[in-house]
Amino acid sequence: MTTATAQRTQTAQPPNAPFIIWVGLLGLLMVWGAVSGIIVLTIGLAVTGLTDQVPWGLWIVLDLSAISLGAGAFIFSAIVYLLKLERFRIFARVAVLVGFLGYTSAMLALFLDIGRPDRFFYPIIFPNVHSVLWEITMCVVLYFAVLAAEMAPVVLESRFFSRWPQAAQIGHQIHKATPFLAVVGLGLSLLHQSSLGATYGVIAARPLWYKPSLPIMFILSAAAGGIGATILGVHVVSYFKGKFVIKKKVIEQAAIIAGGMLALYLYIKIWDWATTTYYSSTAARETDLALLRLTTPYDTSFWLVEVLLGGMIPLVIFFWPRLRRNFWWLSLASLLTVVGIVFLRWNVTVAGLVVPLDWSPGSAFLFPRIFYAPTVPELGAFFGIVAYALLGYTLAVRFLPIFEEEEEPPSSMPIDETAPA
Amino acid sequence: MDINRRNLLKILGAAGFSTAVAAALTAPFNKRQIANAQSHSGGEDAEHRWVMIIDLRKCIGCDYCVYACQAINDVPDDMRWNVHVVDQTRTGEVFHMTRPCLHCQEPPCADVCPTGATYQRGDGLVVMDYDRCIGCRYCQVACPYDVRRFNWEPVDQDAPANDLQPQWGSAEVERRSRGVTEKCTFCIHRLDRGLEHGLTPGVDEAATPACVNICPVEARIFGDLNDPDSRVSQIIENTPTFRLAEELGTEPNVYYVPAEGMVTT
Repeated sequence: MTTATAQRTQTAQPPNAPFIIWVGLLGLLMVWGAVSGIIVLTIGLAVTGLTDQVPWGLWIVLDLSAISLGAGAFIFSAIVYLLKLERFRIFARVAVLVGFLGYTSAMLALFLDIGRPDRFFYPIIFPNVHSVLWEITMCVVLYFAVLAAEMAPVVLESRFFSRWPQAAQIGHQIHKATPFLAVVGLGLSLLHQSSLGATYGVIAARPLWYKPSLPIMFILSAAAGGIGATILGVHVVSYFKGKFVIKKKVIEQAAIIAGGMLALYLYIKIWDWATTTYYSSTAARETDLALLRLTTPYDTSFWLVEVLLGGMIPLVIFFWPRLRRNFWWLSLASLLTVVGIVFLRWNVTVAGLVVPLDWSPGSAFLFPRIFYAPTVPELGAFFGIVAYALLGYTLAVRFLPIFEEEEEPPSSMPIDETAPA
Repeated sequence: MDINRRNLLKILGAAGFSTAVAAALTAPFNKRQIANAQSHSGGEDAEHRWVMIIDLRKCIGCDYCVYACQAINDVPDDMRWNVHVVDQTRTGEVFHMTRPCLHCQEPPCADVCPTGATYQRGDGLVVMDYDRCIGCRYCQVACPYDVRRFNWEPVDQDAPANDLQPQWGSAEVERRSRGVTEKCTFCIHRLDRGLEHGLTPGVDEAATPACVNICPVEARIFGDLNDPDSRVSQIIENTPTFRLAEELGTEPNVYYVPAEGMVTT
């Protein structure tokens, strides 16, 4: 085991075969994404599977998920700068990196998704302050600026910029503002992470959405998923470096926080299911839910994926000390949390739209079943943007000072984790 | 941080200050909202309140209103602003349901629009500024009546949008670009121009929506509800009418006269 690690550590610096294959694969996906993007921008959104009945689809889900998975940045900022838990400071940079990649992915997806990308800045110059979407746009733009400012010192400290000594100085000056940026970022994140749920929650026309619980579920799941995505990123780097880049104990403590957030989210989710199904149900919601269950595998994707795989199982792993201490179980729990929050966003978006709006006053059921499936260019842009985020992460952890010096001696590398801790 | 008296006072002070700032910042918006709400419900400061009545007893389902709308407003077949579906009452009697934009007094589409591209005019009409629309399609998601249409396809500025359009002269309205949403306007270009020339919408054809003019059985009636002598005011006062999905609180400006045998609550 030790030799394997030693080899890995040695080969970490010059590019090795798996690294080149991985980057090549991501490059191919990004080419697919770029071609799809050009097709969408030249021909228009007619090439997508979207219709007037289902105007939002895969890209909106990507957008919401990427923003939620970037939530680690504000959670760790709050933990470090407000709760003053200094031991989590080591997470700050990687969480900001994940956040930066998440928010840029979301903005790329939105740029393709809106019909007039040339007018992307119009919400800023023609504001409608009553619109939830306007509030989200402003928060995302401002929070992206915060993330960029938090990323800047990391980039300026890198080896590439060492030839200009002023760069590090500028970086240091920006770095001084970090506590302030963290608090501003926390405020902005609390606003828009919940408003992403409110985007659906305020729509009185759609009985499946019109409820007060969506903003709460979105922000709690984003907190759990943001930490989950950060842990997953740390684990991947630790695996390939053959050593923990962040103290194992601190990762486990972060896992407990993720578990706490996930528990809160699941509690609200089950409460929401019980209220909307039993004692606070409306006729319209019952009709829509019945239609949804008849026409789609909603029961499976809700109970099996969202609740069991994306909620219960990671919750058990996060809170069961023996499983949590195991590298692979904790990786699985983080991955499942990420899958769970993506599925929550998919289910909310598509479920509300595929149930037809029955506005005619008669008794006949007039409106045909609505179907939505992403087309090839839609999938291409989706995978291209995901590949961009993964490539950004791969290159950043390789070339930027994201993690500090070695935290643990090589004897505690992940493959030894099968032994009792 | 220890919670002692000094720190507690600090926290309370900070909380009080932020509340005051928030209240000060939102006060102008609240005032405007209250003003809006008053103008919506009372309509007293607005000179007109345009209303359409669709008489389901009379409609024969000829589709002329659908076609007239397409011809006048340059609308392709798959993007019809004004739609017709055949529905039936609970006793099985067939009636013809047609639906333009309902021009809600509390329009969900205008509330959600991030740029204000969809907005409500003083006379209550919900209209669009196509030059501000970014194509986010939130209005389509928010509209309870499936009124909104999006320009998915590339728009050919030269070819006619449909077979119904005259091949001579020019269209009454501009063609919308790819990537923006659109909707029925109650033919505002006719209303506004008609009023400028002293015509009365609902009485003079040149100032009346195309779908109302063409109806062969007078199932569609248009007019000003603020004018107690207008036909729409008379009908709404003397005939039972209903509006679509009233429970949503959208307060539509399109009233329906129920078909024979239709139970309306």
